[in-house]
Amino acid sequence: MSNFNLEIIILVVGFLMIIAGVYCLIRTYHLLKILIGIEVAMKAVTMFIILAGHINGKINLAQTFVITMIVTEVVVAVVAAGLAINLYRKYGNMDVRNLRKLKG
Amino acid sequence: MRVIDYITVSFLVVPIIIILINNLLSKHIAKRISFYLVGAAAVLQIAASVADFFLLPYYKLHEYKFTLLWNIDNPDSEYFAVNSLSLVILFCIGFVTFISVLIAKHTIDRKKVSYVNLLMTLIFGMNGMLIVTDLFSLYVFLEIVGISSFVLIALFKSETGLEGSFKYLVMSSLASIFVLTGLAFVFMHVGSLQYENISKYILSGHGSSRLYLMYAGMILLIAGFATKSGAVPFHSWLPDAHQSADTAISVLLSGIVIKVAGVYGLIILSRLFDGIPAVNLTLLVMGTVSIIVGALLALKQDHFKRIVAYSSVSQVGYMLLGVGAGGTLGLLGAVTHIFNHATFKCTLFSNAAALHEQTGTLDINDMGGLHEKMPVTGFSSVTAFLSTAGIPPFSGFWSKLLIVMALWMNDFKVFAGIALFSSIFTASYFLRLQKKVFFGKVPNKYEYVKEIGGSIKYAEIFLTIIMIAVGLAFPLALLYLKGRGIL
Repeated sequence: MSNFNLEIIILVVGFLMIIAGVYCLIRTYHLLKILIGIEVAMKAVTMFIILAGHINGKINLAQTFVITMIVTEVVVAVVAAGLAINLYRKYGNMDVRNLRKLKG
Repeated sequence: MRVIDYITVSFLVVPIIIILINNLLSKHIAKRISFYLVGAAAVLQIAASVADFFLLPYYKLHEYKFTLLWNIDNPDSEYFAVNSLSLVILFCIGFVTFISVLIAKHTIDRKKVSYVNLLMTLIFGMNGMLIVTDLFSLYVFLEIVGISSFVLIALFKSETGLEGSFKYLVMSSLASIFVLTGLAFVFMHVGSLQYENISKYILSGHGSSRLYLMYAGMILLIAGFATKSGAVPFHSWLPDAHQSADTAISVLLSGIVIKVAGVYGLIILSRLFDGIPAVNLTLLVMGTVSIIVGALLALKQDHFKRIVAYSSVSQVGYMLLGVGAGGTLGLLGAVTHIFNHATFKCTLFSNAAALHEQTGTLDINDMGGLHEKMPVTGFSSVTAFLSTAGIPPFSGFWSKLLIVMALWMNDFKVFAGIALFSSIFTASYFLRLQKKVFFGKVPNKYEYVKEIGGSIKYAEIFLTIIMIAVGLAFPLALLYLKGRGIL
């Protein structure tokens, strides 16, 4: 019974974290805050994978997945931060509403 | 060791060796020879994929399994594998890379070394996606492809490039979140992520609550790969990214990256979830909507590369129809369309490069009558248009015919009809493009425009010959496949 509760709790918390991340992505106009939103949602996914490993008894496999995932995630964050810095140098602020050159 | 062992390993080893050579040389020498290195890698990849394709029946193998350093005989061991389908797409990768380098010789004059490094990383990622046999490795290589594309788009730090790249990054991260969540749910249910285990155990345990989570995971996986392929509800990033990149990079993105990262992932999913008809129906509906909406959006654009990018959205729809139709014929149609789309998209983007080099603009309202001034560009562009629209002697006709036939034979007659009639949309937006750019009166400022010379011209001639030759020789290819027992 306690296992079952853990499953439900982690699923609900992870779902809420993804909602929070995507909400942050939609509502904010700041480049770095968008990046933070993406990272929050990614952390929820990490939790799902660990939960999956816990449930099907292959926690070692799940751990290797998570470690690999953290690496790729960091690379994405670095590239995104680089783009944000370059956009800051072009426009002088980090507002997403500057990005209106491409339309249609 | 057999011959095939050495050849197949080259798909992973050659890009890494090229990156090493490119960075170990002094910058002075590297600048001069880096494009030749990429050309050599592309030719090697084409040769290796062709050789493998003909060696598979020689060794009587359906699928060639291999590893790099570890033992394949351990139970549950990871392994790589190539089969006829992935070899055709590996061939397309080599082909598009070659064209990209031919264009880059004209358009890229600084940051050559970084271009080559990123291009090789991109090819490493795409090759990896095609030879892995479990979903998590697929995700890792997908991420390599994504990251190198972001940097390639923003390589010259123009305002549009950075903007397109950032939009692509955000959409792509959302796709990663979808794919990983789906993967976690499938892992929870199956206990392994290897393709063979997933397709074996996917439907076991009816009625348990985890099966519902597995269905949710399936939907998320499809949404993630559809985002990567630019199918319609998720297409918003594609024209921005493809328009703002340098033309040598747009060729790669539009010609092969969306197909390997998106459509190939959907092919894998349609195989894994074979017993679930809803997957096929989803792909069919998404494909139909992509064809129509992509074509209608292409009709109202004014930028040459943007029209071609929306055309990619529309053509990805045809590939999804082929995958969704299921069966060998549908898959064959989809893969043939991947190759044909690579050829005509390469042609159109090399036209874009030629026009931009000679006239300095890509706004189609500014142009006109350039057919007389640039006959090679004009002719190849018309050929590409006829091939895209599916006019009989050209290559695009055959792949669309295969897709429509597969749809009809699998009792999706409504979708077959829609696929047939939406060729009219394709023809309409390309007719508008051709009329405004190549026909009509020449504006005064383009009185002295000349035909482009050098590598772009050769690329255009080469591609035109391929489009016509494939169109004429395609029945022979079908006969060969029948002889091999694939069809």
